[in-house]
Amino acid sequence: MTKHPLKMTKVALENLFQKPATVPYPAVRKPVYAATRGRIAIEEAKCILCLICDKKCPTGAIKVDRPGKTWAIDRLLCIQCGYCVEVCPKKCLGMENLYSPPVSAKAMDVVNVPFTPPPPKPKPPPASATPAATPAPEAGKE
Amino acid sequence: MANRTVIPFGPQHPVLPEPIHLDLVIEDEHVVEAIPSFGFIHRGLEKLAEKRDFTEFTFVAERICGICSYIHGMGYCQAIESVMGLEIPERAKWLRTMWAELSRMHSHMMWLGLLGDAFGFENLFMAFWRVREGLLDIIEETSGGRVIFGAAKVGGIRRDVPDDLLARIPAQLAKIEAEMRPITDVFRDDFSVRQRLCGVGVLSQKDAYDLGAVGPVLRGSGVAVDTRLEGYAAYDRVQVEPIVESDGDCWARAMVRIREVYQSFEILKQVLPNVPAGPVDMKVTGAPNGEFFARLEQPRGEVIYYVKGSGKKQLDRFRVRTPTFANIPPLLKMLQGCQLADVPVIVLTIDPCISCAER
Amino acid sequence: MNLTHAILAALLYIVAAPVLAGLLAGVDRIISARMQARIGPPLLQPFYDLFKLFQKERIAVNKTGHFFLLGYLLFTIIAGVEFFIGGDLLIVIFALALGSVFFVLGAFAAGSPYSHIGAERELIQLMASEPMLILSAMGFYVATGSFQVHDIWSRPDLLIVILPGMFAGLVYVLTIKLRKSPFDLATSHHAHQEIVKGITTEFSGPYLAVIELAHWYETILLLGFLYLFFAPWPWLAVLALAAVYFLEILADNTNARLYWQWVLRSSWIFTAVAGAGNLVVLYYLSRGGTP
Ligand code: SF4
Ligand code: SF4
Repeated sequence: MTKHPLKMTKVALENLFQKPATVPYPAVRKPVYAATRGRIAIEEAKCILCLICDKKCPTGAIKVDRPGKTWAIDRLLCIQCGYCVEVCPKKCLGMENLYSPPVSAKAMDVVNVPFTPPPPKPKPPPASATPAATPAPEAGKE
Repeated sequence: MANRTVIPFGPQHPVLPEPIHLDLVIEDEHVVEAIPSFGFIHRGLEKLAEKRDFTEFTFVAERICGICSYIHGMGYCQAIESVMGLEIPERAKWLRTMWAELSRMHSHMMWLGLLGDAFGFENLFMAFWRVREGLLDIIEETSGGRVIFGAAKVGGIRRDVPDDLLARIPAQLAKIEAEMRPITDVFRDDFSVRQRLCGVGVLSQKDAYDLGAVGPVLRGSGVAVDTRLEGYAAYDRVQVEPIVESDGDCWARAMVRIREVYQSFEILKQVLPNVPAGPVDMKVTGAPNGEFFARLEQPRGEVIYYVKGSGKKQLDRFRVRTPTFANIPPLLKMLQGCQLADVPVIVLTIDPCISCAER
Repeated sequence: MNLTHAILAALLYIVAAPVLAGLLAGVDRIISARMQARIGPPLLQPFYDLFKLFQKERIAVNKTGHFFLLGYLLFTIIAGVEFFIGGDLLIVIFALALGSVFFVLGAFAAGSPYSHIGAERELIQLMASEPMLILSAMGFYVATGSFQVHDIWSRPDLLIVILPGMFAGLVYVLTIKLRKSPFDLATSHHAHQEIVKGITTEFSGPYLAVIELAHWYETILLLGFLYLFFAPWPWLAVLALAAVYFLEILADNTNARLYWQWVLRSSWIFTAVAGAGNLVVLYYLSRGGTP
């Protein structure tokens, strides 16, 4: 290996005559991988408003509102850990490989969930009558 | 007798994006003394461990640091697994080793760039960061994250890496290694770089040992200590030699890191073809009951995790001693008598990560 | 050169110098970026920056500093005007030095240690660069028998042939004046330095714009200095200046920032060897020719 003190000159001149390594960002984007962690998406039709993702999210980014029938996420709080995806019992959450677009204000992304939760207290009044083994999702009465 | 001036250095300083504050007592441009103050970014992480489920705390542990994130997560999981007596699957061990080395490489390359930046060599900074991008691509493709891998999990790893991907990595690494040679040569040979690094911030072997330096700072002063030799994950089955330089100056510390990057290439050459097939995680039931100290080698040096549980989902106590914390006393020693222009360079040679140190 | 010509030349300098220097800075940034394998900013970025700085809020640490800054701009322009109307080279050099001293005083006016150290380093840089500038004036005098820029540039012979050492010395000093690595001690075009932004730390918004503007005037003036060596052959001059500027960019991109001691020592040694050596040789040659 030759030892000379001006090695950087060679690197700089080579760079000068090569295509730059950077891309003009908003116009050209770097390819993402299948595994890239991006925004959390929900298939609202499958969600049963079970609140597990709300409880497990390490940053409290997800807020599930059972009476209001909404699932909401604060994209700026989400750290893309993917834990909600792992714990969701209905597998209705997924992680896309694109980042959420930039925003200029904090806001919750609110999704209306069609699922109607079963009435809040079917059990307490009759102690053992109507066991109601797993109420069918759509069969709630209002 | 020259006038003494106090120059505040940090907690917000363009050359040191780390919230540490040093009061530099200088005479002309010579530093007589450096007085540190801390606590600008204490995050209460350790207390949080008492509130969170121990499995969920992995996410927090990974975010102790934004650069050596993976090894933090891995160290935490290792400590918990030891308490619970879990023997994680082999494939997980090997993949952990792979990620740990990738993490070390990208951290060192980031650091080499930052060092170039600290002595006003912008092109060197750009060069290292450009090459590092290739590593980040590999990391992103395997784990999904660029610097926060999010792949650690108590009982294994969270994402398996497909075998065809594993087979592709060696070629990518070879390309990165080839791109790296010319710019690490600059570090070794360039006149102005040597002017700024050789003989600057010398830490004698004895001082390094006595003041409790760890990692490249310790090895740069000629002490052969490398926690990877403990043989955690799959390190007991790969060839690791501590990289030692004897000069104890900034140049020696840079050389240790450069050689460690090349060493990591070698380690990965041993790891990648040997990743066994099989599951990558195991079911974890119960809760940690007992205590454990885990020691791992971070890019910045030896890190220690202490966990104590009493059969609850939440830990009783979590403690992490990051390498930067151990390297602050040696840093203060190195700073004595240096020139003002050397301060950023010397501070950087311990590869400070103050937010990790303050947790 | 008569009065109307002089006024025209002065006006031309005042208007065209910032435009030229701004474009040059734009080219500089693009080439620097390419050397770092980046795409780099658009060509007109320096102007965008300048206009943006002018629009920013005025925050003053010490108002005196601003007065000094205007002195910096004024005397730099005076130096340039004196040069481009073909005036006295010595006045040019001293007006330029005076401008820099005003800049230093402006930085000293604020109480910040970064600004003070930057100012001290700027003084050191002045000490490093001034001898070469003065020596080059002497070189021109010995070679042409006049300190008048007008006389120097209307000579038919190529001065680079007899003053190569002077030229080399000036190019060396230009690196200091352009604030390029390895000599970007007092402040740097890049953000990361141990003394923050050094001499400019305590200025903000429009005042930074004034500093940039003065720097641009200075750049054009210094390039004018180098032009004198090739005055009879303008196309050669342009080529040579482009080459010199390219070398400055290359040096900036292939060097670390060095210590002030090294800068001072090396530039004095270089001045002594290249500048003074050239002068001595020239002196003997002219003595040898005349008796
Ligand atoms: S998204 Fe999944 S975890 Fe969250 S409330 Fe709906 S079903 Fe439950
Ligand atoms: S990815 Fe993690 S942080 Fe984001 S919403 Fe899901 S659990 Fe919460």
